[in-house]
Amino acid sequence: MGYAAARGGLTAIKNAENLVRSLRDEHPSPPVGHDQLTGRLRLLVDKVMGEAGLWDPQLASRALVEAEGDHVEATHLLRAHRSTLPRLAVSIAVHVDDARVLRRVVPAYREPGGNQILGRSTDYSARMLSARRNLPAVDIDRRSPGATTGDLRDGMRRMISVLRSLDLLVDRRRQDDPEPFDITATPARPPAPRSARLATMARAETGALINQWYRNILGPDGYLHEVTLGEVRHSEIEVNVLHPLSGKSTTVGYVRITEVEAIEDLDGDDEDRERFDAGFGACLGHNERKAIAMANLDIACHRDAGRTSLEQSILMTTDGLDSAGFLEHLKLPHYVTFRSMVDRKFAVREARLTRTDLAPRGVGTDAR
Amino acid sequence: MTVTDNTTNRLDSLGASGDGPSFAILDEESKREIRRALLQAVAVPGYQVPFGSREMPVARGWGSGGLQVTLAIVGPDDTVKIIDQGDDEGVNAVNLRRLVVSSTGIPETTEAREASIIQSRHRIPEDELTATQTLVLQVPVPEPLRGIERDVRELARMHAEADYSRMWVSLYEDKVRNGVITQSTGYPCLVNGRYVVATTPIPRWDIPRLHMSQFLTLFGAGREKRVYAIPPHTIVEPLTFDDVPFEVERIEGAACRLCGSTDSFLVDSSGEVDSWACSDTAWCRARRSQG
Amino acid sequence: MGLQRHRMVQGQEVAGMRGPSPIPTPDPVLTVNGLGKIYGRDDAGTIDRTGSDAGSARDPITGAIVAAWDVNFEVAAGEAIGIVGESGSGKSTVLRCIAGDLEATSGDVRLSTHMEGRSNVLLADPATRRRMRIDQLSVVYQDPSEGLALSVTAGGNIADPLTAAGVRSFAKIRERASELLSRTEVPLNRMDDIVRNFSGGMRQRVQIARALANKPRILLLDEPTTGLDASVAAGVLDLIRGLLEELDLAAVVVSHDFSVIEMLTNRCIVMHHGRVVESALTDQLLEDPHHPYSQRLVSAARA
Repeated sequence: MGYAAARGGLTAIKNAENLVRSLRDEHPSPPVGHDQLTGRLRLLVDKVMGEAGLWDPQLASRALVEAEGDHVEATHLLRAHRSTLPRLAVSIAVHVDDARVLRRVVPAYREPGGNQILGRSTDYSARMLSARRNLPAVDIDRRSPGATTGDLRDGMRRMISVLRSLDLLVDRRRQDDPEPFDITATPARPPAPRSARLATMARAETGALINQWYRNILGPDGYLHEVTLGEVRHSEIEVNVLHPLSGKSTTVGYVRITEVEAIEDLDGDDEDRERFDAGFGACLGHNERKAIAMANLDIACHRDAGRTSLEQSILMTTDGLDSAGFLEHLKLPHYVTFRSMVDRKFAVREARLTRTDLAPRGVGTDAR
Repeated sequence: MTVTDNTTNRLDSLGASGDGPSFAILDEESKREIRRALLQAVAVPGYQVPFGSREMPVARGWGSGGLQVTLAIVGPDDTVKIIDQGDDEGVNAVNLRRLVVSSTGIPETTEAREASIIQSRHRIPEDELTATQTLVLQVPVPEPLRGIERDVRELARMHAEADYSRMWVSLYEDKVRNGVITQSTGYPCLVNGRYVVATTPIPRWDIPRLHMSQFLTLFGAGREKRVYAIPPHTIVEPLTFDDVPFEVERIEGAACRLCGSTDSFLVDSSGEVDSWACSDTAWCRARRSQG
Repeated sequence: MGLQRHRMVQGQEVAGMRGPSPIPTPDPVLTVNGLGKIYGRDDAGTIDRTGSDAGSARDPITGAIVAAWDVNFEVAAGEAIGIVGESGSGKSTVLRCIAGDLEATSGDVRLSTHMEGRSNVLLADPATRRRMRIDQLSVVYQDPSEGLALSVTAGGNIADPLTAAGVRSFAKIRERASELLSRTEVPLNRMDDIVRNFSGGMRQRVQIARALANKPRILLLDEPTTGLDASVAAGVLDLIRGLLEELDLAAVVVSHDFSVIEMLTNRCIVMHHGRVVESALTDQLLEDPHHPYSQRLVSAARA
């Protein structure tokens, strides 16, 4: 579509929209229903809900279809939708111990309190594209953990509770950050409370957060310990609000979350060498990579204590909508600013020819 | 500026949202919150006020800040003009106008004098604006000191203490190395003798019109979640040395190929010889029709 | 010595009191009382368990480091006091606490330039302390990268304090920068070169020029010639001595090197493991050091 000098906008915009809509919606293949997406592309839908900070599988599926599978665009659609909605209630804090555990991995101990549950995972599957014809018959023991519900959490002791009972964990439970910082109402900038960092990471773009972690492992500007994971859990948890009439706690729904505890070996001169510390990560949906990166960055940021720019990087550079939007704004017309830059190029050139205010210099003077 | 009066009954506004998009896209609570930030910005000219920037139907960096400001202040009696690079027909201006008009039902105009709210990216209209008008500028990077300091804690300290000497050093170095101050658009200005601000990027040409203006200018930076303001009758001084005059863009002998103007901001429309044209297309058209 | 002569002219006879107590100075520009800096967790016994007699600045029980404790001295205009000791003795800590680079744990520091000396600057907020650095008190660091922006020209480094003080004329900045660079013997054709391309000695001269930009009353010098070649160091020392005589500054010179202390100061204090062990006229100390640690230092310097 040509649009001369970025003008004549409206028709071009409408045509572009029509093109997207018709080629997407009128594609000869059967339309994709939301149950197909949540059922077959579950992790993609989860990722979008996590980065949007909005739990609604149906809307997220619709957003993914409208965005033709672009997860950043789908996230944008969900967040923009949220902007139009009033906030009706604030949920009551729930303890993660009350979640129904679907999967649990404890790398730190061989036999942790309670079960380890491999659950729904391809962690140990051979990464081979399955040739459909040779697929063995699927043989699911539907009584196995992960496929069932029940009292799996019986006897599960969180690793930080174990460490705490052994007096192996630094106690930094604190009173000065009692209400979670609401990053949707107040922008978080350093120095920010821990809850602001956690909220920011929970909504961060997954790839950005993983990169943030990895560049602190291998990049030029950071050093971050590899943590030992105490808990990696995927669970389902209640959402409770106070009933507006009865004033009682009422369950209004469930969300799935991934949560991670990262045990950190303290080795700094000014740190408690007799104990460990722990980082925490949690996000909406099943997204273990993100929660692990988050837990490790959480403790890294605490230990960094403002010495480096880590907190600023976490708070200000990991949001997918911010970075993608700003990157793409380069496509907008910039001819006014460019014109002004050209003006300065000529001004510099003229000044070089006529410069009298400074002693002549060898470098950069015009040969003429 | 007319403030919406749609805040009488919270339950009403909550109920309305269930039936479809509310007036001006945002819910009433959000608009009120943005207006509170704007009031603070007007009260402390040039100070960057943090606000809970919402995700808008347009992407971050595409005018989401300016759009939130416009939607927060717009009322049913307003008339809006939206321009990009001075052009009402710029593709992004068209898109933003479509959003504002369709979500409010208010009239649109291309005449600067007829608009009560003018939202703009990178330009101030050539027509002199009046006390009844509000200029909303879209801001990509609200931090004027970012070129000399990256740490946001240090930036906050520098603004708090009005510690701008490193900014002056950068201007000094620029002048020494290049013979002129090469900062082109978004020229840093000291507002009300206190805060240094980034002037969106509008060209230098537009800077003098922010000084002691009749109109209110509101700056919205959606991605960086900041708003700031230059109220009417406020001193706005481009940072420059007393003996190094502030220069605006000038091209010797250039005139608009359409209206012949030599006293408006001209853009090089194709990069070819004599392709100068007014950046403010509505102003150019009016001038032509006056003959 | 020049500074001695200067003091004779002023007729300020120094009592020559020995031991760790301060020597009273009439009309001090800088007064330091009970200055202390402790790192880490200390308790009530930390002070007793550290210091020169204890043989360490580190508290064996809590692990706290008492980098400096109970430091007292005064400096008048036209006078320079030396703080001498080995590295780790706490002398730079004292200087940095006065400058505001470090937060002192305890003490009282007054500048006659700040509220006429009626207020302890250690209690002033960070913004006020930074403002003092514009035109009241300057520091010359051992490492020029602490006192200069290496990617900025020599002139630009001087423009920084000048613009902070409100100078807004490009020509005046150029003029004052030329004046200062001439005085500190930096060739004027290097004024527009970035400092990173300068030699160590030349960087120190630029740092000194910058420190003097707004005519401060107090100049703190932290090992100003350490790390320079001997001949270069001698030139910089000559320059500093000339400036101290000429500008009526109150100066504090921190150095491990007795030749620096001898050349620049008329009084000095000796620090060991964070404590002042001796306070004396510089030439007396060099001839007849009392404290065993001072004796060791002096004999090592004379060897």
